[in-house]
Amino acid sequence: MAAADSPSAALRRRDLCSRGIRLAGKMRVDVIDLLDAYVERQGLDVSSLDSSVAAVEGVPLAAVERWDEQTGTQRLLENLAAYRAFRALLAQMLEEQREQLGEADAGLGRALASVLLQVSAFTYHLEELLRLESRGEGEEEEDRPAPPPRLSIFEQKLRGLGVLRELAQWAVRSARDLRQLSKPSPATGTAAGLAESP
Amino acid sequence: MYLDRCKRRLKSSSAVNPAVISPQDPTLLIGSSLVATCTVSPDFPLRAEDLYWTLNGRRLPAASYTALGPSTLSVALARLNGSRQQSGDNLVCHSRDGGILAGSCLYVGRTTEKPVNISCWSKNMKDLTCKWAPGTEGETFLHTNYTLKYKRRWYGQDNTCHEYHTAGTYSCHIPEDLALFTPYEIWVEASNRLGVAVSDVVMLDILDVVTTDPPSDVHVSRVGDLEDQLSVRWSSPPALKDFLFQAKYQIQYRVEDSSEWKVVDDVGNQTSCRLAGLRPGTVYFVQVRCNPFSIYGSKKAGIWSDWSNPTAASTPRSERVAGGCDPKGGEQNTTLRRELKQFFGWVKKHAYGCSNLGIKLYDQWRVWLQKSHKTRNQVGKEPFALLLPGWAGPGGAAG
Repeated sequence: MAAADSPSAALRRRDLCSRGIRLAGKMRVDVIDLLDAYVERQGLDVSSLDSSVAAVEGVPLAAVERWDEQTGTQRLLENLAAYRAFRALLAQMLEEQREQLGEADAGLGRALASVLLQVSAFTYHLEELLRLESRGEGEEEEDRPAPPPRLSIFEQKLRGLGVLRELAQWAVRSARDLRQLSKPSPATGTAAGLAESP
Repeated sequence: MYLDRCKRRLKSSSAVNPAVISPQDPTLLIGSSLVATCTVSPDFPLRAEDLYWTLNGRRLPAASYTALGPSTLSVALARLNGSRQQSGDNLVCHSRDGGILAGSCLYVGRTTEKPVNISCWSKNMKDLTCKWAPGTEGETFLHTNYTLKYKRRWYGQDNTCHEYHTAGTYSCHIPEDLALFTPYEIWVEASNRLGVAVSDVVMLDILDVVTTDPPSDVHVSRVGDLEDQLSVRWSSPPALKDFLFQAKYQIQYRVEDSSEWKVVDDVGNQTSCRLAGLRPGTVYFVQVRCNPFSIYGSKKAGIWSDWSNPTAASTPRSERVAGGCDPKGGEQNTTLRRELKQFFGWVKKHAYGCSNLGIKLYDQWRVWLQKSHKTRNQVGKEPFALLLPGWAGPGGAAG
């Protein structure tokens, strides 16, 4: 907590938060573009799929109840867990894409790789913020979960759609989480969310 | 709700599939027919009449359905077209409320053709790049994978090229040194879900397909004050200096405000050339390229390098057009006659008895003429001198 209270740490946190907000904004724009391309290349009729891909195994949901009541640490930990999961899911999507289409759809592959890179960068950003908090939680990545079972090609398409849709939602939520974290606490002058962390 | 169960299935991989489509992800030839079945798991209280099919999001007509059992519905697809996307057409079995029970991707296309027109080149004998064209019958609608293979003739083992798309869509680059003085066999295998097609084998010797870097030190300079000439100099390709070879060169040049190049292709193996008949007071861009041939006695024609980066230079401004007014034909004739008269007078005086009367002598006279004009008129600075990057200023030695 000491680190969180010092003025330099507060400054660093504010800097990390504002850069994180920019990263999240860029990520959202790129994911939306990628989603359009993905739907087109996979021949998916989005209107008929809307409800069917609402929840896909292993994809963290951005939807949250009582968001206002979350502490700063809670926000960071949930974000970190989500982006670590997205990193693994996107890497798998990229591998499947290469397996099936090789270099034939290099544009989609490049866009996917670019979003994966942004997710990795954002994950690192969140780890930095948590480290600043000196809490240690989330610093070490948990053991990687066992790879999901082999899906049929159509199931892979649906899962990809679910991953990108949810990632776009997370980008919005993360920007708001970071904005919340960067607000100075009236009592200590440090970030409100973090200061009230349990 | 069935859909919720489907969602739960996606959430938990160990859960039972709500339905199964057979065949799963089939590959078919264009024009063929398919009967697919959707069988709902006994865990789900759905009957055949509760189901419907879509293909790429479009509902298929009920007339093409057949109930094969209480919970199995088939659909017949006749004369299939090529797949709309290379990732496969989406054939989906839905419950009445629109939920997805199962999906299968159909890959409909034609067999790939053998690649044709394989051509290869080696840059400085350090590597080999080959390109080819896919077959000629058009789209196969299926993702085609190309593999370039090569081996030394007679006793080599097959090798596979790994760096694709380096010189266009259908190309591959072999970065390592290949053996010289031995023929190679090169071929391309095209494969898609319907099979493999192998190109004819191309036989080549690396020495026969060598190209090199474009000349990098191209200098363009004025020929004294001659307003219609520029001198171009360059060096032979350094990467090939240790090899026994011949080189021929080509030059192309254009005026600044035109995109049309004029090619000088009779340069031979010289490393300098004078461009004549140019417009006075004009900026020219010049490029040179090299064709190394007869490497170690190879009988092949050699392969031209890329063109060098353009080098710019300007010809001196002509005093006759200094006013910006183009002389009329009649005036030109008069000027020419006057110049010729002057020229012969000058020959009598300065080159009397000289049997080597040629264009060089004429050039010397033009230099002399320019100088004598300059002394009279004190011509100002060349406007281009201050403007052009890479500009070769006056003072270049007369060829």
